[in-house]
Amino acid sequence: MAKQVSGGLREWVIPFAFAFCAGWVIWHGPAYILDFFPHENPSMTAQITELHERKDVSPNMSGLFGGVMDILDWAALLLLPVIGFFGIRSVVHAQMEYPNPPRVDLFALFIGRVAMILIISMTLIMLYEVFLRYVIEAPTLWANELTLWIAGYVFLLSGFYAMQQRCHIRIFIIYDLLPKFGRRICDTISVVLLCLFAFFLVFGSYNQVFGIKFHRWEMFGTAFDPPIPATIQPMILIVVCLVALQAVVNLIADWNKEPVEHDEGDLIDEEELEAIKKSVGAD
Amino acid sequence: MDVGIISIVLVVSLLFLLAIGMPLGLASAVLAALVMIMKFEPTLLTDPMSFGTGILTSNPGTGPLYLLTQKIFDLMTEYVLISVPLFIFMAALLERSGIAKQMYDSLDFWLSRVRGGVAIVTSIMAVLMAAMSGIIGGEVVLLGLIALPQMLRLGYNQNLAIGTICASGSLGTMIPPSIVLIIYGLITETSIKALFTGAFIPGFMLASFIIIYIVARTQLDPSQAPLPEPKPDDPQGGEKWLMFAGFVSVVAGASSVILVARVALLTALGRNDPGVDNFEPPFLGMIGDLPILFGIIAASAAVIFLFAGRERTAVGWQRGKGLVPPLAVIGIVLGSIYGGVTGITEAAGMGALAVFCIALFRGEASVDLLWVSMMRTLRSTGTIIWVTIGAAALAGAYTLAGGPTYIAQLIIGAEMPTMLVILTMMLILLFMGAFMDWVGIVLLIIPVFLPIVQRLPIEEIGLIGQLSPHHVAIWFGVLFCMNMQVSFLSPPFGPAAFYLKSVAPPHISLTDIFRGFLPFIGVQLLALSVLLLWPSIVTLLL
Repeated sequence: MAKQVSGGLREWVIPFAFAFCAGWVIWHGPAYILDFFPHENPSMTAQITELHERKDVSPNMSGLFGGVMDILDWAALLLLPVIGFFGIRSVVHAQMEYPNPPRVDLFALFIGRVAMILIISMTLIMLYEVFLRYVIEAPTLWANELTLWIAGYVFLLSGFYAMQQRCHIRIFIIYDLLPKFGRRICDTISVVLLCLFAFFLVFGSYNQVFGIKFHRWEMFGTAFDPPIPATIQPMILIVVCLVALQAVVNLIADWNKEPVEHDEGDLIDEEELEAIKKSVGAD
Repeated sequence: MDVGIISIVLVVSLLFLLAIGMPLGLASAVLAALVMIMKFEPTLLTDPMSFGTGILTSNPGTGPLYLLTQKIFDLMTEYVLISVPLFIFMAALLERSGIAKQMYDSLDFWLSRVRGGVAIVTSIMAVLMAAMSGIIGGEVVLLGLIALPQMLRLGYNQNLAIGTICASGSLGTMIPPSIVLIIYGLITETSIKALFTGAFIPGFMLASFIIIYIVARTQLDPSQAPLPEPKPDDPQGGEKWLMFAGFVSVVAGASSVILVARVALLTALGRNDPGVDNFEPPFLGMIGDLPILFGIIAASAAVIFLFAGRERTAVGWQRGKGLVPPLAVIGIVLGSIYGGVTGITEAAGMGALAVFCIALFRGEASVDLLWVSMMRTLRSTGTIIWVTIGAAALAGAYTLAGGPTYIAQLIIGAEMPTMLVILTMMLILLFMGAFMDWVGIVLLIIPVFLPIVQRLPIEEIGLIGQLSPHHVAIWFGVLFCMNMQVSFLSPPFGPAAFYLKSVAPPHISLTDIFRGFLPFIGVQLLALSVLLLWPSIVTLLL
């Protein structure tokens, strides 16, 4: 089999399908809340039901299994892990990425692909809005807030990806002077502290975030009214936990790795250099 | 716990965590949690078994720690922050297109007979690239690949060549749009547009200092910049000026025609009708502006047909057209911000689109180009944004603990002369800049420094001119940006040196590179002191 190159059709389509399905699930969040985490308080139930009816994209479909979720909602929810599975299998390691990822890391790489699709979608939505607003003078209510919403996911997920890629900004002045044993201690301290932070963050806000913002499906309070607080705040906690987990995975994967000298030449990678050289016609 | 102790513990642990190589953003986040614990439940540190009894831990799922999530959430919903990935995206596309090479060829044609011409071309090109996006790194690499071999081949002084490339290449963060100023504006809640406007004159001042230095150095010692052998088909002095005049007229005339079309469009849509509420006249978009535009068109036509001649103009256009794409991108980005068309975020998106369209036009665009640029954007976004996330959490926690007020009191209580306080800050910034990335500095140090500066007696800031109180944050932002210019070049970790090293011929060592920087660091410090002595230079355009 010929060596596959990153950026093939599958790597565009599957993350896009994943993002689309996740988008459907997130947009129809109230339906899932009503079915899976019903409120005990009837007035809250009424409020969420009203929300659901206002935001439903497929209003004429009846719910399945005596619930609110219609067949599309079920399909989207069940497809999500399936697409995720195929997505993880479809990841092709790109040359500029951190070499030799263990199998677990493929998840982070796939999430990175999804974030890349989100970046291009967000840019296109924003340009569409610019076109409508300044050329046709018919601005939409939704485009700016949708961009903001997607950007929130991009910002959070990019940190998870950057963790897997080990490209978070670090200072290596003293670290590089240490023997292997010392480096292991340093890395372990970092990972333990990061896990502690994730624990305290979740411990200190899970009720506010999941119990209130998510469960009551708090909206942004604007005309388009996207559920930004209801979705981004849980995402913050989830991604911080994922980053901490990834840090543990990195620690295990790098445990026996030979020390490499970090100079800031790492700022620029070989592939990048080749591309730029090609663009200026240098040999 | 007392805020003084909290501050000391914070500084010591930050230094410790950075020393053991913990990622900056995550270290700040950890310290944010630590500050919260010290503030609300210090017994947890001495007696971990008491978990679950204090203010912080007795109430699982809510309480003061939620503030950290809230701070991160606030940052995630900042609309301007979206411009960061978009500018990175644009720079990634730009690096991979041949726009830069063509721009160099055009500039080189006009200045090839000038002493030190290639060095001057390098600086001008750096300024143009700086005005397109706001990312350094790629810029130094591009200049290093294009201009360094030329200068070395012509026998330029190696130090002059190296210093020119890196000092000019760093201008990306000084001349608007600048990603440093965007993050600074977000953190300090300063108008980013005002920061951009304020940075214009200082940015161009620094650029012209660099060019003046190059001219002076090569005039005093012509052996440092030998002239190339004249090519047989190279037009002679006066001839070239006429060609240049022809080229400029074509560009000016064509832009005016586009602007006239815009006026027509605006009029047709009724959008330059002053009768509407909150009417802001679009720049050069009113019917009253038409005489100016038609005047420019007439003057250009006169120059082309009477003065330069059509043939010379045609040659001039052939030689100069490489400058058109960069100028168009600059026009779109800065025009969007200042023409009252869109915000900074949209301008960044438009810039990315413009660069992509140019690449498409030049036949360089491909799905692969998009994919690689997206991946690069994702990586850079992750590193920059997560430092911002950590620092936002830390700044929130530290402010809650009363930190900034405490430090401001401390400095003001010391009764140092105002300028001495500012000079001390400059020294700290320069020192930190030599070891740390600018993102870290803007996020960790500026939230502490700025409140202090704002409390200093304003009439004692600077020697010439008077700064008005609501411009202090802008002035300090530009000052900070200028500091960061020095930090890109300062040993031992000046990033510009490492970027250049990756493309320089092997016989040029890092030491050689840093040696070449020295006079240019002097030029930057000169520009910095102008800003210190004459603060209101920042407000000239505001």
